[in-house]
This record gives sequence, structure tokens and C-alpha cells, in this order.
Amino acid sequence: MPVEVIMPKVDMDMASGKLAVWHVAEGEVVKKGAALFDIETDKAAMEVEAPATGRLHHVLAAPGETVAVGRPVAFIYAEGEAVGASPVAVEAPKTEAPAPLAGAAPVVVATIIAPDSADLRATPVARRLAREAGLELAAIAGTGPRGRIQRADVEAAVARAQPAPAVAEAPVTAPAAPISWEPHPGDLNVTTRKGVGVPLVMIHGFAADSHGWRPLEEALPKEQALIRIDLPSHGRSPLKRVGGFAELARLMVQVFDKVAEGPVHLLGHSLGGGLALALADIRPRQVRTLSLIAPAGLGPEIDGAALNGIARASSVDSLAPWLKRLTARPGGISHDFAKAAMLARLDPALREAQQEMARALFPDGVQAFDLTAALERVAMPALMIWGRDDHILPWKQALAAPGEVALHLLRGIGHVPQMEDPATVGALVGRHLRG
Amino acid sequence: MMRDSQENIPFALRQFTPAQLREALRKMHLIRLFEEGAEESYMRGLIHGTMHLSIGQEASAVATCMELTDADKITSTHRGHGHCIAKGADVGRMFAEFFGKETGYCHGRGGSMHIADVKTGNLGANGIVGGGLPIAVGAALTAKRLGREEVTVCFFGDGANNEGAFHEALNMAAIWKLPVIFVCENNRYGMSTSAAYATAVKNIADRAPAYAMPGVTVDGNDFSAVAEALHEAIARARAGEGPSLVENLTYRWRGHSKSDRNRYRTKDEIEEWMGRDPIARFRAELIAHGVLDEAGAEAVEAEARAAVAAGIEFARQSPAPGVGDVTKFVHAEAAA
Amino acid sequence: MNAQVQIDAQLRELSYAEAIREAMAIALESDPAVVLMGEDIGTYGGAFQVTGDLIDRFGPERVMDTPISELGGAGVAVGAALTGLKPIFEFQFSDFAALAMEQIVNQAAKLRYMLGGEAEVPVVFRMPSGSGTGAAAQHSQSFEAWFGHVPGLKVVQPSTPAEAKGLLLAALADPDPVVVFEHKLLYKMKGPVPAGHYITPIGKAAVVRPGNAVTIVASAIMVHRALEAAAKLAAEGIEAEVIDLRTVRPLDRETIIASVKKTGKLLCVYEGVRTLGVGAEISALVAESEAFDYLDAPIQRLGGAEAPIPYNPDLERAAVPQSPDIERVARQLAKGEV
Repeated sequence: MPVEVIMPKVDMDMASGKLAVWHVAEGEVVKKGAALFDIETDKAAMEVEAPATGRLHHVLAAPGETVAVGRPVAFIYAEGEAVGASPVAVEAPKTEAPAPLAGAAPVVVATIIAPDSADLRATPVARRLAREAGLELAAIAGTGPRGRIQRADVEAAVARAQPAPAVAEAPVTAPAAPISWEPHPGDLNVTTRKGVGVPLVMIHGFAADSHGWRPLEEALPKEQALIRIDLPSHGRSPLKRVGGFAELARLMVQVFDKVAEGPVHLLGHSLGGGLALALADIRPRQVRTLSLIAPAGLGPEIDGAALNGIARASSVDSLAPWLKRLTARPGGISHDFAKAAMLARLDPALREAQQEMARALFPDGVQAFDLTAALERVAMPALMIWGRDDHILPWKQALAAPGEVALHLLRGIGHVPQMEDPATVGALVGRHLRG
Repeated sequence: MMRDSQENIPFALRQFTPAQLREALRKMHLIRLFEEGAEESYMRGLIHGTMHLSIGQEASAVATCMELTDADKITSTHRGHGHCIAKGADVGRMFAEFFGKETGYCHGRGGSMHIADVKTGNLGANGIVGGGLPIAVGAALTAKRLGREEVTVCFFGDGANNEGAFHEALNMAAIWKLPVIFVCENNRYGMSTSAAYATAVKNIADRAPAYAMPGVTVDGNDFSAVAEALHEAIARARAGEGPSLVENLTYRWRGHSKSDRNRYRTKDEIEEWMGRDPIARFRAELIAHGVLDEAGAEAVEAEARAAVAAGIEFARQSPAPGVGDVTKFVHAEAAA
Repeated sequence: MNAQVQIDAQLRELSYAEAIREAMAIALESDPAVVLMGEDIGTYGGAFQVTGDLIDRFGPERVMDTPISELGGAGVAVGAALTGLKPIFEFQFSDFAALAMEQIVNQAAKLRYMLGGEAEVPVVFRMPSGSGTGAAAQHSQSFEAWFGHVPGLKVVQPSTPAEAKGLLLAALADPDPVVVFEHKLLYKMKGPVPAGHYITPIGKAAVVRPGNAVTIVASAIMVHRALEAAAKLAAEGIEAEVIDLRTVRPLDRETIIASVKKTGKLLCVYEGVRTLGVGAEISALVAESEAFDYLDAPIQRLGGAEAPIPYNPDLERAAVPQSPDIERVARQLAKGEV
């Protein structure tokens, strides 16, 4: 019986080896232990010794050939042993193949789910609830960071889809307040000024309305297109119950999505500034520039007494002293201005709705919402203007702004720079819009 | 005159019965043939991973374990096939383990480097150089605490004597006078690095005085010399006198593992050591002293050869573990 | 329901350290195979006085001072456990376990498996852990994630005296190696501890404050910081649910998932370094589970800074989550601002 010479396994991960060179020619004599051939692996060349003494025959692998581990490469015949036909027909021992991995410990294969649309962000639970309610996510306004649709957004959409008794809208956590008014259906009031280019969307502050923008509008370029939004329960907008900032933001997103057909510039003052910031965070691709005048949401402090006083005031005499706090110089607010403001607030239901809104947004005289994280995320050019004598929102809250925000802290100016110094504010905003 | 000739008889032949000596020879052949069989199976791709062969070191393994019972413990090394067989393991289950089969000693989870047989007191080979040293001390601590008359033999190589675990283990064994025997199989190389280069003392047994224990260096290829050194160390341990260090000078004929290219030693050196084959020496000794004749010795070897062939066949026929059981044996309850 | 609720009739106040000592005393009394090993645990009473006077009651053969040899000592404990003893090995500081990783990770954790179930290693490693003591970078670390990454080990982190006792007794009853992380700042904390033998099950978390606005999963001292934050949030009408993890490996998936399904928000708080920490695993398990469809905000983690524990006390506090941090992030989560 000739001795089989095999391709040996010489390395841990070796399944086959490349025969580099034979040291003994076919038919020659070889001694057991003498170098017979070399194997080349990716690590090194290795000498293989002859497994027996005798004559080399039936060389099956030429130099350079790759042979599977365990396969014969030649045979050694004892001196005098008859050399027959090549015994290659003999099957090399079958390598015991590792068992297939099927049925092994469970391997989770990730399923890639195509997003509903490139822009759409929604939390998993929002997606599930929308799916269960049969609602299109795309039709729901997201009020979370970066416009993410959250559970509450879907629940609100579900509530709108199923007409519910009006009492269901009553905020559960609100203290028992005299409810002498009913929320009104319909969209928020929007007014426009025609012009060219990218329009500027303007959102006024608490207890104000779109008329308050007039001095600033005159300081802005005449051709600048404007879109003004009245907050719910303000100006000509219907009365709405607002349980908190997120709910208010949700209403604003709905109206914003209607009015902002293409990219817009966005400007807001005080509470409107906070809402503009939230909108910029929720709909970043639609907002080309952001201008914030003494925006809310950048710190807990606020003059709660003034807010409540204005919201509550039922006569020019009770309104005027509070209005005076808005400006740096007491003379900034004339009696005529106070009268005009009071005229806009004659409806007791509106005043009641605004007081309720103040309690929800500024409970215990504290700003109950924090937009500093949203401000950090803002990526479009942003401008912030604040009066250093602001008695309502301390100007130091402006310091929450990241470095990219252009900050203008105006001396001798209070909470309403757009009224106190429209020329300066108009110039700053105008320049900002032009980039 | 009679006494003189008695004294010329090697220790082992005086100490053990012919049946014990014959069994020792069988185990030495079994180790050699087992490893050659494993090597052959490896080269044919039947064995996975790598392995560390102890061919040339058989006397050290078998003589060390001569006086141990199944209750006595050993901790072994990555070059541990010989220790396992010497302690009484079945080569069929060992091959089954090498082939990764469920019938293997470790149910296919351990392989060559973790081969163990707890029932015969073998706490396992170890893939970490020096890993078994503190464990052996712990086993000896158990014996002492529970009042068992067991000893633990801790096999380790020359490489391990430079591990921190060696020094920590010897020190603790000595301060607590534990029944443990540290057996260094000095085969001259830790992978490719020679003990002469890597070790500050000439003999590893020279470390013993630092830990206040006896240390001897013996010819590890001389069965009787090893058996005699262990006899004294085991007696000392059983008498509660504490640990000892025995250094068996020996040599591995093969490379460190199957990937070794043998660049760090010469053919002359390997051949010189092959000339000191411990099996051939012991066999000749037994024949010279009339314990066996040539035919008897052949029969012993044939017995071992048959056991190896049967073991390989058993392993080949054995079932592989189910891949669904990959976490079985991690904890006491399956798949925690 | 765990045992301490059932036995509340027998409650007394013990410190966390006293509760651990009591557990060890019970074990030493009831099982002759139990031995304590560690550096300076004898006459000195342990670096944190946890073993205390046990040497007087049980003698130096059961309460063994080891040389300063963490690797060797841990290995002796492993070998002893392998052959019939039940050692409780104390590291003076969990940081020093780095010296013994070989024996804990390569040996203790794997021996049962490597030997195909033919052997077991019922050893307990006790590790005083965590920052806040001014001991700086090599005496303040939180390694629970390191050991939690090793199959074969169980890893627990008691947060109260009652848990410290119950989990240690559970560890002793377990046939496999258990690593107990004891928080150093908790050793003096007092709390009700049932008398006698009881077990706090390994692998079971506890809801220590129910809520519906956000789930806070915390362990060890972070449980107390989370509870403090939750109390403040409650004043604002935000009810946070606080889960005391208790066991890092195996994690109690059910309790965590059930809570997140209820709240839709998850905050993981842990002292170990944030990256690749315990909270990373909890986040992943929730994201992979059926609780995913209930998430209403990105999962948040508060973990240790990406720095060694610093010496300066202000820096040290800043390096690990504090109660106001937990309060802030939990509030943002609850309000949908994250």
C-alpha cells in the first residue's frame, strides 16, 4: 500500500493550501522526515516533511496549484512496491462540514421601513396611533422638536376627526375658573400685504394683535410681502381653549402650513417670538430667516402681574398703568394708545379666554415652557432684538442664544422695541431679510 | 550485596507493582498515539482550531499522576492531553471533544484547550498561561477547610513561571500551608521564547525558596526520577506540611501549536531530544528489570493503538451538539 | 412581591454595610462551606468596615485575610468554589478587580461552559464601587457594564440595605458566579431590613415609584437621585415612574418594557461611563422590543462623563448624573421637548 501524501492543515483557518514547490521529483527516492514540498500560505511558506521513506509517484498537484486540506497530492511507494494506477479515485475523507446555521440562536434581521415621506418625523407611538385611527401622518401637524409628530398631535387629530362634545375640550388640569365663554370654531385670522419676494410671517405677542405691527411695517421696505397671524383669542381670531404651549404651537403649525406655501421669513414678538421659534424648529425647511423680538421661552422669569393685569383690565384706567410697564419710558404709551388697545379688548369673553391662556402658559408667573433647546437647534440665520430695559422679560434671557444668532440689545428700550424704536428695528430686520 | 542491588533499582520499580508499571507504560503509549491520531485528524481537517501537542513529555504527565487517586485534583495547561490521560480519562470521549461532539468531555464546548474530566479529578486544561495556578491553590484550600485528605497537583509550563499568578499562587499556598504540588513542565520554550532568556533564575525550582517551599529539578524524561520527586512532595502535602515545587526538565518534539514554523530551534536540538524519548527509556527500563519482555511491551503498545483507533471511530460516529443549544451550560439553568 | 414586604412586621433599621454583614453572618452560620476572603477583612474589618467583627465570631479560617494579591486571591476563590467551598471574595475597591479580570472573566465565568456543564463555580465577588468619595480615578469607577458583558456572570447592584442583604443571600444561593456592586456612598445609609434569611431575586427589577409620564431606570445610588428628581417633578404634576434595576445581568426585560409601554418615555440613568454602558443596553432592548411602538420620544441616557473620575469635588459631581440632571431631562421628556 503506498503512503498517501496529503495537503496538511498547518494553520487555524486553513481550508486549502497552495503548493509552492516540490523538493523531490516524481520517481525519486525520499526519506521520512525529509523536506518534500513547500506550502505557501498568506502568512508564510512552510516545509512539509515526507511521511514515509520510498519513491514519490502519482504527483497530483503541480507547483502553484491550490489543494483542499486533506486531499492527496502524491503517494510514496516502498522500495520494490509495484506502482499501479493512480489511486486518486480513492475519495479523500469527507470533511465534516459545520452544521448549517439555520435554527441557531435567533438572529434578528433588521427590516428597513421606508419613511412615509422624506420630511415626516413621528414618534413610534404617534405612528401606531395614526395607523390604528386610519389617519395619514402627513395630514397631522407635528409640534415636537423638528416638527416631530407626537402622541398628543395624533390624539388631537383623532379628536378633530371624531366630533366630540365640547366639554371634552376643557383642560383637565386648569383650576376651576369661571367659564363664561365658549370656544369658537374656525381658523385663526390671517391678513396679508402684497409684495414681492419671500413673504414675512409676523406673530404678535400676548394681549396684542396684528395692528401692533403697524409702526414696524412702515419702517420695512414697501415691497416686502407680509403675512400677519392673530393668535387664538386675540385680534380677529376665534376664541380657542389652549391648555399649554404645545397646544398653542399645534394651532400655529396648522395655520402656518396653510399660509406658508413656499419658504417664508418668520418674525415674532414676545409670546409670538416663542411661537416663531417653535415653528422654525418644527418646520425648519420652510423658514428662510428667523427674527425674534424679546421672545418668550428662554427662561422662567416673566412679569406675571403685568400679563394678568393687561388680560384682566376692563377699562382704559385699569389698562393704562400696566401698558406703561411695556416700555422703557413711561411716556412711550399715550392715553390714546391705551384707549385704542382697550377698544380691541372690549369683549369680556376674549378677556376671559386670554386670562385662561395666561394661566396655562405662565402659571404662577413663570414661563412654563422652555425653548432653549429649540434655539440651540435653529440652523437658519437668526436675529434677536431685546430692549435692555425690558420689564416683562429680562433681556439677560437673550444670552441663552448660541453664537450664530445675531444679538441686538438696545439701550433705553423696553419690551416693545418695534413700537419704541421702529426705525432701528425696521432697519435691523430689513437687513436681516436681505441676508 | 542484596541491598546494593536494591539501591540500583530505580525508585519507580521499587515503589510500584508490575501491573502499575505496565499500566504506566500503556498510558505513555496512549498519550503518544492519541496525540499522533489527533495530529493526523487535524491535518485531514477533521479537527477545528488548533492544538498543543506534548509528544516527548509523556513521562512527566504519567509519573506525576502515579500516586494520585480520583479524589485528588489536578489543574492542567493548554498542553494538557497527557495530563488528562494520565489522570484516567477515556480517549474516546477526548477525541469526541476534539471533534466537537456532544459525547465529548465538554459536550463540544471546550475542545483541546479546555479538556477536563472532573470525575477523575481533572479540573481542566486552561487556555490562559498561569490560569490554573491560583485555581489549584483554591482546590487545596477546599481540601484543607473541609478536612479532606486530598492533594492538588498544579501543572504549569516554564512560560507561566513569569506570570504574576504564579508568584501570588505560590505565596498563598505557602502562607496557608496548603496541600498542593506545583509541577513545572519546563520544555524550554514559551512558544518561541526560551526559558533561558525569559527567566532570571537558572532553574525554575530556584523560585521555591522565595516562597519557603522545597523545590527540586529533575530529568522530566526519566519516569522514575519524576515519580520519586512527586512521591516526596505528595507525602509532604498529605502530612499537612504544605506545598512543594517540582520542575520536570523535558522537551516538546512538535511546535508550540499547529501554526509553529520552528524558526527558534534547530533540527539538531530537536533530534537530540528525540534521542531521549521518555517512552523508549521507560520501556527499556521495564524490560531490563524483567517487568515486561519485548512481546509484552509490544502488546501494551498494541492495546494503546487499538484504544486510539476505537476512540477516533467513537468520535466520528458521535452526534454533534445542536446549534440551538449554543447557550446551554452558560448557567445552571439552560439558556439563562 | 419580594420578601421584605412580607416580613415587614420584623423590620429594623440597619445600614447598608450592616445589612451586608448580617447576610454574611447568616451564611457563615448556616453553611460550613462559606468562607470570606479579601484584603484586610479580618481584624481590620474591611476597608469599608463591612466585614467588621465577623472574624471574632467565625475565626480566621472562615474570615480569611488574603495577601495583596487580587489576581491570585480571586483565583483561589474560583478554585475553592470549583471544588466545594462557597467563597465570598471582597475587593477593597471594584477598581482593583481589573487586576483579577483574568480569573473572573476567563475562568469563573466560563468554567461551567468550557467544561460542558460538568463543573460549577459558586463564587461571589463583592465590589465596593462608585464615585463621590474624593478618591479619584483609580478608586471610584463603576464597572458593572464590564462584567455585565460577560456571559456566565450575574451582576447585581443593590440600592438599599434590604436589597443589599437580600441580593447577597441570593448570590450565595446561586450556583454560578455573581458580582455584587456595592455603592460606597450607600454603606452608611440606613433602612428597614427584615431579620433572618430572605432572598431578593436576581434578575428582577423593582418599580420603586409608580408614574405615567416617563420611565426612569436607575441602579444603586442613582435610584435615590432619580427618586429625588421624581419628587420634585411630582410637584409640577409630572409623575415619573422610577425602576430600581437591581440586576444588570440578566436584565429584567419584562418590568422595563411594561413600564415604557405605559409611559412612552424612557430615561436611563447610570453611573458608569455613558458610552457602551448599562443604559445603552436598556435603550437597545426597549428599541428592539414591542415597547418601540409605544415610544413617544427618543430614549435618553444620563451616564458618567467620558473621562476618568476627577479629584476636584465639583468636577467629581459633574462627572456623574446628579438629581437636577435627572429632573431636567425627565421633565423635557415628559413635556415632549426632547
